[in-house]
Amino acid sequence: MRNVGIVGIGYTPVFVSKRKDVNISEMISEAVEAAFSNTGLGPKDIDAVVFGNMHTFEGVNLPHLWAADYIASLGKPLMRIATGGTTGMSAFHAGYYHIASGLHDVVMVVTYEKQSEGDSQVGLMGIITPEVMAMIAAGIDVTGGSGMGAIGGGSAGGISFQASSYLHHSGAGIEHIDEQAALERRNAAKNPYAHLKDPDATAEKVAQTPLVSWPIRFGHICPTSDGATVAILASEKAAARITEKAAWVHAVANCASDATTANLIESQITDPAEHLPAIIASRQAYERAGIADPKKEIDYVEIYNGFAHQALMYLEKIGMCEVGEAHKLQEAGELEMSGRMPVNASGGVVSTNAIGTSAMNRVTECALQILGQAGEHQVEKDVHKAVAHGWGGMMQYVTITVLGDKPKKD
Amino acid sequence: MEETRVVQGTWDISTFKFRIEGVGLRRMLDGMKEGKLVGTRCHKCGTVYLPGPFYCRKCHIEINEPTEVSDHGEIMTYTIGYADVRGNPLDEPRIAPVVKLDGCDSWIMGVLQGVKPEDVHVGMRVKVQWAEERTGSLQDMAYYVPE
Amino acid sequence: MDINVAIVGYRMQSAPDLVTSRERLVFELTRGLFDDLGIERTDVDTTILDSNDFMDGRTISNVFIDPPAGVYMRDESKVEMDAANAVIYACMRILTGQYDTAMVVGIALTGSQASPYLYIEYTLNPTYERQVKLLNEVNAAAFQARSYIDRFGYSERLLDDIAALSLANAALNPNQARRISGITADKVAASAMYYEPLRELHCYPPTDGGCALLLASERKAKELTDKPVWIKGMGMSTETYYLGERKLYQSSSAAEAAQRAYELAGVKKPAQEIDVAEISALFAHQEPLLAEAMGLMGEGKAEQAYAAGETAIGGKLPINPSGGALGAHPVSVTGLMRVAEAARQLRGEAGDNQVKKAELAVVHGQDGVCAQQNAVLVLGI
Repeated sequence: MRNVGIVGIGYTPVFVSKRKDVNISEMISEAVEAAFSNTGLGPKDIDAVVFGNMHTFEGVNLPHLWAADYIASLGKPLMRIATGGTTGMSAFHAGYYHIASGLHDVVMVVTYEKQSEGDSQVGLMGIITPEVMAMIAAGIDVTGGSGMGAIGGGSAGGISFQASSYLHHSGAGIEHIDEQAALERRNAAKNPYAHLKDPDATAEKVAQTPLVSWPIRFGHICPTSDGATVAILASEKAAARITEKAAWVHAVANCASDATTANLIESQITDPAEHLPAIIASRQAYERAGIADPKKEIDYVEIYNGFAHQALMYLEKIGMCEVGEAHKLQEAGELEMSGRMPVNASGGVVSTNAIGTSAMNRVTECALQILGQAGEHQVEKDVHKAVAHGWGGMMQYVTITVLGDKPKKD
Repeated sequence: MEETRVVQGTWDISTFKFRIEGVGLRRMLDGMKEGKLVGTRCHKCGTVYLPGPFYCRKCHIEINEPTEVSDHGEIMTYTIGYADVRGNPLDEPRIAPVVKLDGCDSWIMGVLQGVKPEDVHVGMRVKVQWAEERTGSLQDMAYYVPE
Repeated sequence: MDINVAIVGYRMQSAPDLVTSRERLVFELTRGLFDDLGIERTDVDTTILDSNDFMDGRTISNVFIDPPAGVYMRDESKVEMDAANAVIYACMRILTGQYDTAMVVGIALTGSQASPYLYIEYTLNPTYERQVKLLNEVNAAAFQARSYIDRFGYSERLLDDIAALSLANAALNPNQARRISGITADKVAASAMYYEPLRELHCYPPTDGGCALLLASERKAKELTDKPVWIKGMGMSTETYYLGERKLYQSSSAAEAAQRAYELAGVKKPAQEIDVAEISALFAHQEPLLAEAMGLMGEGKAEQAYAAGETAIGGKLPINPSGGALGAHPVSVTGLMRVAEAARQLRGEAGDNQVKKAELAVVHGQDGVCAQQNAVLVLGI
């Protein structure tokens, strides 16, 4: 298989709640321009473009058609990928396969979300609209007060089940979730492309935010952001022409199970505590990357944590530590930028969530750490290998990418 | 920076007509009227689903064998709700467990009563409290109570 | 480069209303495919689904169709555009050597569940076209049809002839949804006028449909079938969103996509070398327009070609012997159904639609208003 490297990254100048000064296509073009100016490449250097976002969030169907003129794709193959929250990483994987297959040499992956232009709650409810309508017809109480299938937890219900299950199985407490949120918002303060930043965040401050659905508080939940991210990928030969140093893809993998927020049309058999898709996808990725012991061999981790507990929980699931160990590593300071296993130095999804970019940013942030270009949020230790994680759909879908500082040897 | 104009758009869900599988749900509602929980069992691997889908996830074959499931089970995970689905605070916190009923491989949400929030725990045994008057509705299973 | 990836099996279905749920449609297509090949879901290494959230009326529309497709604790991704592109992605995945088999599954309940015209309205620029409400899919196609027939001085009768030929082929094909017996050009000319010069029977019918296809590496293909259909070339291209900046009587992106596919396949003179073409022409005029772009017909020669029956099942270069998209257009599945129909021809399984010597086929899929994006594959035995 051909090696594929990340040779360029471009972000919109900011990730914020509302970009009122640009429309969707204009905002995406800013990230494309940034990637071009960072690499010195131009439209003529790109063989193909891959595009991803969650288009029901803004109500624009197939937005790559409208955006085609803004993303250097005229006269080129342009592929749209969509897998929900993981879309960014799924699009990155598609870009990887464009090159690894031998068909293309330089591919640009474009991801975005402009959540201020839509209604994310409506977008999310849209996953199960027909099922909810059928359940209402069958007598479900939509206020969650009584009856079978009632989502007593309200809006953050499904995620709270996951968080409470994590706490039970790991022995961690709600204070560890508070601390993880604080830690990542402190990291975000050092990342110019993060949205919610608080250099003085503490677990105590997070603990003062109201409980939504135990153990999830407002302070544990991601914002909705506007922003776009572009990555330029290249084959080994093309990369040598473009840059002296690239971040190399060592493996990609993903896994889907059945939907894990119980509803009464599609009953679920996947155990919400087990997270088998994350276990299967990460093991497969390590095997493909030739990694025998991820704990020893991987230096840096980016976890997709729309909710703060997920950084801890997925560290365990993707084999970066044993079950029940993540919160102890946190207590020992090992998850911080100065620690032995730094996680989400970028501030994670809990600080910035322009959904289409969120799983992609996990990869680009790993790349920046490997390249030593993360600026103020560069971790202290040397990063030779890093792993990026994404989850999406109804918590039933997981993507994994392993990056290294050298091309992978066969 | 000059601000752009805002223009309204809609995504009209009412233009869609959805067809969804209803056999398993109907079977469960009919059973509930009698105070029973009836799911569907895979005749090949034995996995029991409630309500039953028309196929087995694991075996990828059609299934249609009605199976009664116990109305007692175990809490797999739970949450305590402080706000309703619109984010408005609730008068009383509400315990919402995810329960795996005995003899069933899928799991179902609901509301738990008769226990204080601080006493609920994963692994706790619970049972279904049936409504006095049953009509073949999801409300027939009123809530869970400790066993 | 040699591609060496084969189509080893296919299943497809379409009707104005399949009277089914998405889950059951996906289950039946994939279960049927597995039974045809004597395999189980765990024999599929990776799956590329293709569905559209705006067609399904759902966010992340693949969530609930993963398990009925056999994707439970398995590898999957989703392409959200015409599913001919999903075949290209699945093929890329096998080319890396990481997978031996890849399944492509596309579904759309365009006939029974959603309005295809609304679907296109949502693709328009929300800050302009969607606000002024002047443009829609059919009137845009009418602009294109007018531009095309006037450019070459054709009469509107050409549209009737093209549609009559397609619909006559569709009537013979059990995979098609719109099957009108005894169709003639006069009957087409008598159908309702939508936007001049396009009438009802010049336009695709909104239909339900689904298709599942299994691709395999050379080694695995030989294990699974003695009738592999090889993917020899593939290409995609895109043009500007703005209709005013396009030459609507041509398709530059279809030409570029075809050129890429022919280059990989080593096809030098497509009009001579290709035995059969399956083109996603959503409106009658698009068939010759796209055939020209793909080098299958000379520019300005359409009237002559259709009058001489060159594109008919027994003709020199049969185009859409299946009946094409005028017989069924489950939005975004159509290109995948063209791939399956071409495989059906190359395997000699096309029954009444069978073309005599079918060894090399070209297949096309499109997205966007007036075919803004195009994908082309070359298949052979």
